Amino acid sequence: MAIKKKRYALVIDSRKCINCKACVVACKAENKVPVGNFRNRINEERKGEYPKLSINFEPEQCHHCADPSCVRVCPTGASWQRKDGIVLVNYDECIGCRYCMVACPYDARYFNEEEGVVDKCTFCSHRVDKGDIPACVETCPSKVRVFGDLEDPTARIHELLSTRRYRVKEPQTGNGPQLYYLL
Amino acid sequence: MGTIRMDRRLFLKSAGATAGAVAATQVGCLRYFKKGRSSAAETKEIPTTCELCPNKCSAIAVVEGGFVKKLNPNPENPKSRDMLCARGNAAIKQVYDPDRIKQPMIRVGARGEGKWKPVSWDEAFDFAAKKLSEVKDKYGPQGTLWSSTEGFQEVFFKNLGLAFGSPNIVRHPTLCLASVNLAYSATFGTVPSFDLLNSKFVIMSGANRFESIITPDTMDLIGGVMERKAKLVYLDPRFTVTAAKADEWYPIKPGSDLAFILAMIHVIIKENRHSKDFVASYTTGFDQLAEHVKQYTPEWAEKETEIPAADIVRIAREFADAGARALYYAGRRSSWYQNDFQMRRAQAILNAIVGNWDQMGGMVPNAKLPKGEFLFMPWDEPKAPRVDEIDTAFPLAAKGDGVYLKLRENVLSGKPYPVKGWMVYKQDPMNSLPDQSKTMKMIEQMDFIGVIDVQMSDMAWYADVVFPESAYLERTDPVEVMPGIWPAVVYRQQVVKPIHDTKPNLEIVQGLAKRLGLGDYFDYTIDQWVEAEFKDLPIPMAAEHMKKHGVWAASGQPSYGKTLNPDHRFVTKSGKIELFSDRLQEAGHDPLPVYTAQPQPRNDQFRLILGRVGYFTHANQSNNVWLHEFMKENDLWINPKPAERLGIRDGSYVTVSSSVGSVKLKARVTEEIRPDCVFMLHGFGKKSKMQSLVYNVGASDAVILETAWDKVSGNAAFHETFVKVANA
Repeated sequence: MAIKKKRYALVIDSRKCINCKACVVACKAENKVPVGNFRNRINEERKGEYPKLSINFEPEQCHHCADPSCVRVCPTGASWQRKDGIVLVNYDECIGCRYCMVACPYDARYFNEEEGVVDKCTFCSHRVDKGDIPACVETCPSKVRVFGDLEDPTARIHELLSTRRYRVKEPQTGNGPQLYYLL
Repeated sequence: MGTIRMDRRLFLKSAGATAGAVAATQVGCLRYFKKGRSSAAETKEIPTTCELCPNKCSAIAVVEGGFVKKLNPNPENPKSRDMLCARGNAAIKQVYDPDRIKQPMIRVGARGEGKWKPVSWDEAFDFAAKKLSEVKDKYGPQGTLWSSTEGFQEVFFKNLGLAFGSPNIVRHPTLCLASVNLAYSATFGTVPSFDLLNSKFVIMSGANRFESIITPDTMDLIGGVMERKAKLVYLDPRFTVTAAKADEWYPIKPGSDLAFILAMIHVIIKENRHSKDFVASYTTGFDQLAEHVKQYTPEWAEKETEIPAADIVRIAREFADAGARALYYAGRRSSWYQNDFQMRRAQAILNAIVGNWDQMGGMVPNAKLPKGEFLFMPWDEPKAPRVDEIDTAFPLAAKGDGVYLKLRENVLSGKPYPVKGWMVYKQDPMNSLPDQSKTMKMIEQMDFIGVIDVQMSDMAWYADVVFPESAYLERTDPVEVMPGIWPAVVYRQQVVKPIHDTKPNLEIVQGLAKRLGLGDYFDYTIDQWVEAEFKDLPIPMAAEHMKKHGVWAASGQPSYGKTLNPDHRFVTKSGKIELFSDRLQEAGHDPLPVYTAQPQPRNDQFRLILGRVGYFTHANQSNNVWLHEFMKENDLWINPKPAERLGIRDGSYVTVSSSVGSVKLKARVTEEIRPDCVFMLHGFGKKSKMQSLVYNVGASDAVILETAWDKVSGNAAFHETFVKVANA
């Protein structure tokens, strides 16, 4: 029996984001992220002059790129990619040189002072491997994020990416980011 | 709340009920943080109910080695759906907060000096009982005040005050939504829910639903608006997240919402767009209403509100066209002006005439679920009248809740009688009441103050004795029925054992009751109480179900239209929906909402307005380390035009002064507010050093807010303060 290929990705409907920070705190608890560090964030764009104004929120985290520059630059192989696309850090091999932090086009990584290693979003691989969805996806009040397997034609993200317009951030880097922002 | 008047109760000694098993065990684990490696400790998942705000969302606590590791949303709750907000997620840090009160403490220095002696529970109880008895001997039981904020264990505290013989129980509604409740009750005989999931046209005055999170309204509305199922028109002097997401935002002149609503009613009736069948069958007073609103033309309202008349006409037409699926959303926000009741009533009337009552996408009377009751020994009703004189000053207000600001005035004046003992549960009057200097005077004139709280609030900081309550994750609470479009029952069970020497409120109440000779009235355990409540729930194997799931909801779709038959009698004087209210007229109030222009700030003044962000609700949440990360200091929003005139730069410190006080905080020069208003967030500038993250950081709005209340409900009016701003 052939092993079914998987490719995890995240579709983000930013318009539904109300900047409530539920995803940020859920991630903090789930992944024991130190105070002062964040694995995900909500970018804000505020513009205009009173009373013609707009605010746009854009959740962001590791893009789990198809060809991640962080993995390419890692001198020890600590930054690595699973077959299902999830990019991880092997803490035992990380020497804390932070090349990967510089190489990441999305500023998605941080240095964990307590542990002396670089850390980042794991798509909650420990939850995903049990069949759950990432904590940020689950807790979101307005269901901004949709997580799923691009190889699964029945997945909701498959439908969204087939029927909706979207963009990815910094496509010119050639990293092949896997966070898809609906337009 | 969940109590029935005690004189109808039977006396039943706690017999038969067995203690329910606590669902969690403690396993020793010194290091709960071990990066990247799975813990060998046992993992359990225990359903419970969040307490960080009043929404009562269902959560599943993941407990590892006796520590709460994570709180996941529980999708079985139809009110919280399948979400948990930032506050809910951060509840873990309420338990493991180094600032927590770790044992009972008695003050040894001056009040507010922060000198405490850790004492045993016996010592704390003895001390408080002695002091309360001294007050009682001198001033009678009415000389004590029992104030509390909404919570599942509030009932025990309130009952202790009543059993002690004090009529002076004051709860939070007049700092919250009493004016809304009273206005809808006066019109419909009940306070309905708003079916935002199915609504097509929503108008919201200031109820900043995308930052002031209410479940399921916030989720239903963002889904509806973003998927283009609903249109949202939003009025607010500030460009909030709700304003940013709305289809139309109007920075309405503060205090003029009533003019906007009356003009809408004017247009709808003039153009004959109201629901004639509904008005004829279910309402009374339409002709008087039609006559009354003739004066309120859109052109007149434009001058009052600064919203163009053409837009008012168009919005009124769109609203009437959406008919049963149009909603003027009441919100759940503190009142703003002294006419707040009448403004809310105008909303209710507008809703009524388009026929959205009991309709899908409209206003829906709440479905309820039965719940059992524990029958405890009844006590004699307190004999003295209430110190807030609610019967004469606010005859329509909810008697059991009291009227907070009038009460404070009367306590300060000592009339009609002195109040010298103050017990506080789970509330921080220092920050939740306007005009902190008055609250401080009230504190100063008390012979005794006792506070029960999870953390050292500013109120607790000024107390004589502090009783540390266990955090919600450390205790089991009474069962709560949540009426609504999707009614549900929720249960909060203990997830971990208390990590400090704390007790659940019931046990604190019992400790005091025993020493006050009132022990018999509280002779039961929380498990007996909960077992009795489980009994009448419409759930097979209720106890087992609630312990396993934490929540139960009626299955199937909501049933709309149950009250829509001509024989239905609304709980009003006429039995109909009252557009014109005789009852209001008899009580000396306007039977139809009458507009009077509110005072506006002079050129050198600003109106101080309040609001929320999604990650703080109550003043105590700014000291939660996981929430504090998002905002370490509050600031003053000020428009660039006046800022330039005053030479105020973004990020510089300014002094904000009203007639009652002055604070210093950073300026945020932003386009996102009207030039005649300034805004600051609640929950900073703490006086308690055991709120270490926000002690003396930023400023407390309570210091500069002036005392004002809505004339009908007595609800605190929080937008009546004018301030001056200058570089500090």
